Amino acid sequence: MAATERAALFTETACDHNNAKSAKARKAGCPKPKPGGTSGGCTFDGAMITLVPITDSAHLVHGPISCAGNSWDGRGSLSSGPTLFRHGFTTDMSENDVVLGGEQRLFDSICEVVERYAPPAVFVYSTCVTAMIGDDLGAVCAAAAEQTGVPVIPVEAPGFVGNKNLGNKIAGQTLLDHVIGTVEPGDVTDLDVNLIGEYNIAGELWDVVPLLTRLGIRVRSCISGDARYRDIAAAHRAKATMVVCSRALLGLARGLEERYGIPWFEGSFYGVSAMGDTLRGFARLLDDDELSRRTEELIAVEEAAVEAAIAPYRARLTGRKAVLYTGGVKSWSIVSALQDLGIEVVGSGITKSSDGDVDKIRELLGDAKMISEGSPRELLRVAEETGADILVAGGRNQYTALKGRLPFLDINQERHIPYAGYTGMVEFARRLDMAIASPVWEQVRRPAPWDLVGAH
Amino acid sequence: MAEIITGERRAAIDPLKFSQPLGAALVFLGLADSLPIMHGSQGCASFAKALLTRHFNEPIPLQTTAISEVTAVMGSGEAMVATLDAIRKKQRPAIIGLLTTGVTEVSGEDIGGQLRTYLATWADADADTAPLIIGVSTPDFLGGLSDGWSAALEALIRAVVPAPMTAEAGSDAPTALIAASAPPAATLPAAPPAAASSAATMLAGAARAIPAAAPVTTTVPASPLSRRAGTTDEDVADRNLVAVLAGPALTAADLDEVAGLVRAFGLDPVLVPDLSASVDGHLAPAWQPTTTGGAGLAELRSLRRAGAVLVAGATAAPAGELLAARTGARLLHHRHLSGLTETDALVAELMAHTGRTAPEQVRRARARLADGLLDAHFVLGGVRVAIAGEPETLLAAGSLLRDVGAEIVTAVSPTPAPALADAPWAEVVIGDLTEFAERAQAAGAELVLGSSHARGIAERIGAAFLPIGFPIFDRLGTALAGTAGYAGSLRLLLDAANRVLDHGHAHARPGRPPLPASPGSAAAGHRAATEIPQQGRATAEPDELDNLFQESPC
Repeated sequence: MAATERAALFTETACDHNNAKSAKARKAGCPKPKPGGTSGGCTFDGAMITLVPITDSAHLVHGPISCAGNSWDGRGSLSSGPTLFRHGFTTDMSENDVVLGGEQRLFDSICEVVERYAPPAVFVYSTCVTAMIGDDLGAVCAAAAEQTGVPVIPVEAPGFVGNKNLGNKIAGQTLLDHVIGTVEPGDVTDLDVNLIGEYNIAGELWDVVPLLTRLGIRVRSCISGDARYRDIAAAHRAKATMVVCSRALLGLARGLEERYGIPWFEGSFYGVSAMGDTLRGFARLLDDDELSRRTEELIAVEEAAVEAAIAPYRARLTGRKAVLYTGGVKSWSIVSALQDLGIEVVGSGITKSSDGDVDKIRELLGDAKMISEGSPRELLRVAEETGADILVAGGRNQYTALKGRLPFLDINQERHIPYAGYTGMVEFARRLDMAIASPVWEQVRRPAPWDLVGAH
Repeated sequence: MAEIITGERRAAIDPLKFSQPLGAALVFLGLADSLPIMHGSQGCASFAKALLTRHFNEPIPLQTTAISEVTAVMGSGEAMVATLDAIRKKQRPAIIGLLTTGVTEVSGEDIGGQLRTYLATWADADADTAPLIIGVSTPDFLGGLSDGWSAALEALIRAVVPAPMTAEAGSDAPTALIAASAPPAATLPAAPPAAASSAATMLAGAARAIPAAAPVTTTVPASPLSRRAGTTDEDVADRNLVAVLAGPALTAADLDEVAGLVRAFGLDPVLVPDLSASVDGHLAPAWQPTTTGGAGLAELRSLRRAGAVLVAGATAAPAGELLAARTGARLLHHRHLSGLTETDALVAELMAHTGRTAPEQVRRARARLADGLLDAHFVLGGVRVAIAGEPETLLAAGSLLRDVGAEIVTAVSPTPAPALADAPWAEVVIGDLTEFAERAQAAGAELVLGSSHARGIAERIGAAFLPIGFPIFDRLGTALAGTAGYAGSLRLLLDAANRVLDHGHAHARPGRPPLPASPGSAAAGHRAATEIPQQGRATAEPDELDNLFQESPC
């Protein structure tokens, strides 16, 4: 992907965050990584996050060992069937390849992978080094596709072009350009939908799909969680798209709308009210009165059941204080979920949220509680000042919290517990309660015998 | 002597290899108040950080210069300077490791020169807070974790221990790549004594006249003594000071045991790196953005006075040889420290060095290992073992298991290393985990040793599994599980034997569903244990076990 094409990804018209910017700021694109002050993933990371959960495909990383070596089989995205996506495929470039060019090794590697595993498709990822030495990923992929008869998709998202978000965007664009529309399904229904930005972390999808199934809605493709290549390739025949907590993939939803006339909405699976809104969103876009009626029925039943199930937790959690640090839609949908449980959110990080998200947080919390710096030190400081009972954040802050002897709940990518849907909400309440009420905190906060006053 | 075999495949499938910068970062994580920086894209650091966090269950201090496609092409120097400035202001580490990556190496920039220029600009400004900054060349497309570890450790020694006035001045210069134009250290003028002890002026001096680096390292030595015309007390060798240069195979528990062994002879060990003090899993009084323990600056500087240099692992050998050459200290060289023979050799050396005999606790530990070897040989004798791991890990665990009669049928290393040729079995394959799985299955392996990534392989081929090496993300407490010395070797050996026994229990009667592995199933497990002599597979010969039970004095 040329730099100019990448620049076009930054002018996402469907993104209110982007639209709120000045022309100059918009041209600058996503925030640039800051030397010495950055801890997030790179563009390559973002592309992998979005595409690797296409579970039956081979994901081949063209680069030196660190890109695949440090990351393969490292994510919590689960599959109900194929396991090919969990293998780490890489060209593992040597110095010779760097000097002489890595194209032949890449071609051979693709053929080897196809011969060995016969996948429905191979996704090939460029990296910083292969971008620097100028390997022509597109040409090699085209040649390999011809040789093997299998789609070979070039993903040109080298790490150094930006942050993780940009990688998500490039992945979305790659699917639009190379994959979606290449397979015509024989089983289209009027209630087929796409989910975009749902990665089936800890199997969350499996708490949501049954609800949709009960409504008669079928998930045609999930980009990308527990996904199959041919389902993604047939995404253009869905009747509606939901974007799940992801600004970065709005471009993909808009592309599906522009190219195939599929309407879309943004929603979230986290929290009781958000879940209700999401189900209503499908009913609205699919424009089916009977479906709307079924949806209201299901929401009423489920909300009553959740209410009964979380009542004991609410009794124990009411009055507790939490500091929240997450991003996107979650930064306000989790706020409302926590408030539903009677927990006071005493601080919420906003560095990873768009302006629209921040407005919603402000509505729920007021200005004073917004944390504009996401460093571990700052989070611990806020937690201490506010007397917070728990930090709800991503896995990277887990050990920060533990070293600060602060209860912690992982809400992001790396976690092992599903919190989506109505059952997820109950699990969320249970885990919050367990984390805060664990007897371990009293133990680790005790002073050592030699630190007690009067000890010798 | 093992034959080294390299696989034919073009793609790596389920790589066993980790990159050089990761190995180098581990060395800096074993120093106190330290912060490694990966000079590359932000992903270089974030992937490494996530992986290390997963393995250690600890927060990992690791920063990035966040190279973009523009800086990668137009020059990465400014990003490096901005990073160092930001870190000196914010995290304020005492030691910084600047580790290059593929993206910064591929453009062929003079990173060493940029670093020297940087050091020269701020050196005089804030002497008290100036960190020791060491640059290491660790491109991802060369070597692997062990090579990065070697390079970083050697660069560290080169930086903190000055070359002797005459001996080494010439030997460095011809091999220099990055710092080729700099005059050798020995020609440096004497610095004012008052300023000589501050890191800033040391670096300034170093920056103006950096000694040449070895081929794989760019170093910025902090070497006040090299600039002192006269000698001081700091120059006098301390016979009791033992520099323990550790390789990546040693766990926190191993480092504790090696240090304890050295202390048992009245000696003072300085462990470099010392991961037992930083990422061993300890709850420090407060959170901090740099490492919470390890060898500190003062200890590193004391290395020049070392009376003995203990190379604890083949990966540390280049650094150990350099240190011994620079200090004239006695070199105790051990490719690994697992098993009776290797530990005995170390104890004999320590006895010779001190003229002391071994204290009671050392004798007791040896007696326990000797007894454990006897007990374990019934279980592990003849067991076909497959091991995947870094070269030093292969040597250590493979040798130990071979000591009790196990047969090493498959050994796969991600990268070649000279020490592998000395492995006491037939062959070592350089390859990935797919290669490992195929060979282990073909060889009928009954016990698989490797990282968490190898667990699935063991399950697939129906072998028992013992996690060793890196990364281990599905077990707790691996840092505290010993593999070396008398006690650590015994722990590894008994663990391996118990895995084989457990596996025998679970697979005792073909056709019967495997016994539940949950802790609650003690009763079921106990029942199965009594069946072993009759039902055990080839891994433990029934008559051998009978003998064990009958002859046991208990």
